[in-house]
Amino acid sequence: MRKTVATLSFAFALALMASSAAYAADPIKIGVVLPLTGTEANFGEIEKLSFEMALEEINAKGGVKGSPINVIFEDDSSKPDVGRSAIEKLIRQDGVALVGGGYSSSVTAAMAGVAVNNAFPLVINTGSADNITEPWTYTVSGQMAAKKKKAMSEETDAAKKEALKKEADELAAKAEQEAATIMPRYAIFRINPPASEYASGIESLLTDVIKPKTAALLHENSAFGTSSAADVEKRLTKLGVKILIKESYDKASIDFKPVLSKVKEANPDIVYMVSYVNDAALLMNQSMELRLNPKMFIGGGAGFTMPEFQKNAGKASEKVVSATLWHQTLKYPGAKEYYDKFLKKYNRDTEYHGAEAYAAMYVIADALKRAKSLSKEDIAKALSETDMMTVFGPVKFATYGKKANQNKGEAYVVQWIKGEQEIVWPKKYATTDVVFPVDWIKERQ
Amino acid sequence: MTVNRGIVAQIAVLAALAVIPLVVHNDYYLHLLILALMWVVIGSAWNLLAGYTGQVSFGDAAFFGTGAYTAGLLVIHWGWSAWWGLFFGGIMAVVIAFPFGWICFRLRGAYFALATLALNEVLRHVATIWESFTQGMVGIMIMQSYISKLPYYYIALALAALSIIIIRLVMRSRLGYYFLSIREDQDAAESLGVNTHFYKMLSLVIAAWLTGVAGALYMNYMGFIDPHVVFSLHDISIMAILVGIVGGVGTTYGPAVGAFIMVLVQEMFRTAGFGYIKAAAKFTDVQFLISASEQLTKGHALGFGILVVLVIRYMPNGVVGDWGKLMIALRLQKTGRAK
Amino acid sequence: MDLFLQTLVSGLLKGGLYAVIGIGMTLIMGVMGIINLAHGQMMMVSMYITYSLFAYAGVDPYVSLLVSVPAIFTLGLFIQQRLLNPLLRAETILPENQVLMTVGVGMVLTEIMRFIFTSDYKSVRTSYSSSTFFVGNISFSVPLTIDFLIAILMTAALFLFLIKTDLGRSVRATAQDKEAAVLMGVDSERITYITFGIGSALVAAAGTLLIPVFYLYPDIGGPFTRKAFVICILGGLGSAVGAIFGGVTLGLAEAFGATYAGMEFEDIIGLVIFLLVLLFLPGGFKRITKV
Repeated sequence: MRKTVATLSFAFALALMASSAAYAADPIKIGVVLPLTGTEANFGEIEKLSFEMALEEINAKGGVKGSPINVIFEDDSSKPDVGRSAIEKLIRQDGVALVGGGYSSSVTAAMAGVAVNNAFPLVINTGSADNITEPWTYTVSGQMAAKKKKAMSEETDAAKKEALKKEADELAAKAEQEAATIMPRYAIFRINPPASEYASGIESLLTDVIKPKTAALLHENSAFGTSSAADVEKRLTKLGVKILIKESYDKASIDFKPVLSKVKEANPDIVYMVSYVNDAALLMNQSMELRLNPKMFIGGGAGFTMPEFQKNAGKASEKVVSATLWHQTLKYPGAKEYYDKFLKKYNRDTEYHGAEAYAAMYVIADALKRAKSLSKEDIAKALSETDMMTVFGPVKFATYGKKANQNKGEAYVVQWIKGEQEIVWPKKYATTDVVFPVDWIKERQ
Repeated sequence: MTVNRGIVAQIAVLAALAVIPLVVHNDYYLHLLILALMWVVIGSAWNLLAGYTGQVSFGDAAFFGTGAYTAGLLVIHWGWSAWWGLFFGGIMAVVIAFPFGWICFRLRGAYFALATLALNEVLRHVATIWESFTQGMVGIMIMQSYISKLPYYYIALALAALSIIIIRLVMRSRLGYYFLSIREDQDAAESLGVNTHFYKMLSLVIAAWLTGVAGALYMNYMGFIDPHVVFSLHDISIMAILVGIVGGVGTTYGPAVGAFIMVLVQEMFRTAGFGYIKAAAKFTDVQFLISASEQLTKGHALGFGILVVLVIRYMPNGVVGDWGKLMIALRLQKTGRAK
Repeated sequence: MDLFLQTLVSGLLKGGLYAVIGIGMTLIMGVMGIINLAHGQMMMVSMYITYSLFAYAGVDPYVSLLVSVPAIFTLGLFIQQRLLNPLLRAETILPENQVLMTVGVGMVLTEIMRFIFTSDYKSVRTSYSSSTFFVGNISFSVPLTIDFLIAILMTAALFLFLIKTDLGRSVRATAQDKEAAVLMGVDSERITYITFGIGSALVAAAGTLLIPVFYLYPDIGGPFTRKAFVICILGGLGSAVGAIFGGVTLGLAEAFGATYAGMEFEDIIGLVIFLLVLLFLPGGFKRITKV
């Protein structure tokens, strides 16, 4: 016991010593917040490795303006409150020049609040809920207006609808004014397209090839799952597809058979699922066990593109299509090299999350290079002028619709063919034709 | 005389806490202190119900979350200031606690604990599923009303002081004796004519109110909640118990000490000594320190878990309850033999 | 009709597995009077053992029962003997210190596994993982059906142990009336750690049986701990028969809830039944079955 105390006090003394001493060299410090433990750590690890790989390359080439970049990784433990503590620490304690990272939507939203309050530049690489890059989110009237609008769209009584519309409009006008006061402090930039655009690639595949009339929609109960599902529902309804079943589930459910039996009974043309990797694999395995035979199984990104999905689902993953944001065969400079290098270096697969992180590091370095000084205003200005090519495609932060500082990415569709992901849609990027129709029962014999 | 000295010490601690933000300008440390002060409120509330009244709750998050959601929903539905939550959050927590206690206080011991746990889980699911009202897993985000930490710090400090004062007043009054008698032997208390159901309800209502207020403070300060954050079994309910147990069950200042230990130690593990070990490693360039800091950050949750196990194993009455034992073990006091 | 039958089958098969998880917890609860909040984490460790044997030595999950069960039994013994029993002797205000200790143990187990295996999702895909057979239009998962049979076998073995052997009788005696048992010469401390061992071994078996159809990451324990205590309360503390009923009830409730009310209500239905039983049938199904 005594020994432990002695050791502890020694360590503490050392720590105090270090804190009072200044650094000899001064690299440019930036912070990156990722889930390195907790339920989303799997994705966080791929992103961290990609950040590190990019960082090594940048520093090997001499860093930025002669000084190397030093990345301080913070673990958000997959929890919004920890993410918030982490970004507070990076800004106040470590004095970083900017903050990157942000994996899950809820953690990212919590971090974004701090960034706006401090007018601090935040470069998000994944956190995809739409409202994060919509400045009205950060105003009370904006949120209320959104609620009123939703209530209005669900209201059937015409007189009430009119009243709600009036209220919503008033609030929206107020929100616009409030947003104007937010804007000077808004320095959030997102490389990842918002969740509502994940399915944009799928949409034309549905109209041109699959032509479904009915659909079942299963999604996990998370910020990402809920907002993606809401968007897909909107898109499908617009295409005249009838939604027969829409169900959400909690992560870590063992048994999807009851709900899948229900899907089987309803017999929809397509089954659209938004899930993380484990549930994605279970859903496909159990669909196979129940012999579901829709026209197509479609995944909404996230879990369905992970290498683990194919490993866990085995032959049940065959011919499943999924929305995705990136693929190594895309003709972006360095995409294939990044994929190969990652595979060689870490002996594991990577996918769009990794590419986003890798690109994010380059975007950050590029902005630091162009920034007049390391003040947050200058960095934010440099970021807003970003216009570069990355492995993830062209990155340019634009203001369109309700969004501000949002990179317009493209969405693709991949299909698992013989255990490999192939881009099958849109046509101009496709490496192979989409396999359709599929007889799922025969396929899995 | 001893009473006077006690009061002087208390005022001194309070004064020291009040001066800290004027001296420490690092907002990150203030952030940690605000969280610690919030946990003082929650831990004290848990301690009143469990430590003094003997009704162990495994579901404090039910009240905490109710308070937080009250504050958040006031904003997004009615455009009120989230600060109203400090008032209504506590009341809503009581509104949840009252019927629950009325029905479930017929259960005893582990059964009651499990009922609170179930309440916690049910509310979490309700908040998740009832999307049209609570926004489900999308959560509620509001902007903080102050960018400076000072207002939050002083409000948290006031709440922490208030909760300790309430508990002191309660435990010094007649109520306190009834609470203790229920903890020691409920049947005996009942046979002596103590209306145990009534006093248990009273204890629960006070605890729920304090916890709800803390929840509202959390919404105001953190600006973001979702069902998994504020109704978390592990991060709120169990943490509340850990704060109580590590500090010392059934002691006035135990939860306060526990709150500071838990919040600061957890963050220290997460950031490898607030980043200092890493800084020390960089500065001295000692390879051992570099890898130590890396391993520490990687295994931060492990270190924290081991600490919890050790504290419970060797200081089952908590830091305050086993203070004498701790002093002896550290050889800071010469009486007795070290263990 | 198919939908109803399929739901019934899914619920029953899942319920069998739940029963094994629940029996382990109920034994511990009955004898020690504590909720073991590290129960699911013990299961998680067992799953990692099975996974390692499969991934690195190619051992079939059913064969690895022979390793995982004794290993977790020993781990259980150790935890009870070294960490929980000493707390009995300490003078504390609340008996819940032991429960808290199990929380700490659960955290440590989770983090050790994360340290070794990282947070990556692991799974054990055997040739029979997704194989099914059909009776009419109703699909039966082969591994889950085997699991169900093994669960029945194990429960039967446990009953023989509890009813026929001296050690088993001592366990039951301690669960019913600890003081009387001690007076009768039962070494209650020994009984506690043997019980904890057996309880852990049972959940270890459940973990090993589950892994071919499920997946694995360090945080998987928590949800199963929660299910386990729901099952225990349904069945009545300390009642093995009750735990079987509890497990099957929960399995069926979840399945029918998911089919007829919506999958998001899956968990809430279990919890509501739990609260109702707690209030209106305290003592659970034990009150009805008397075992």
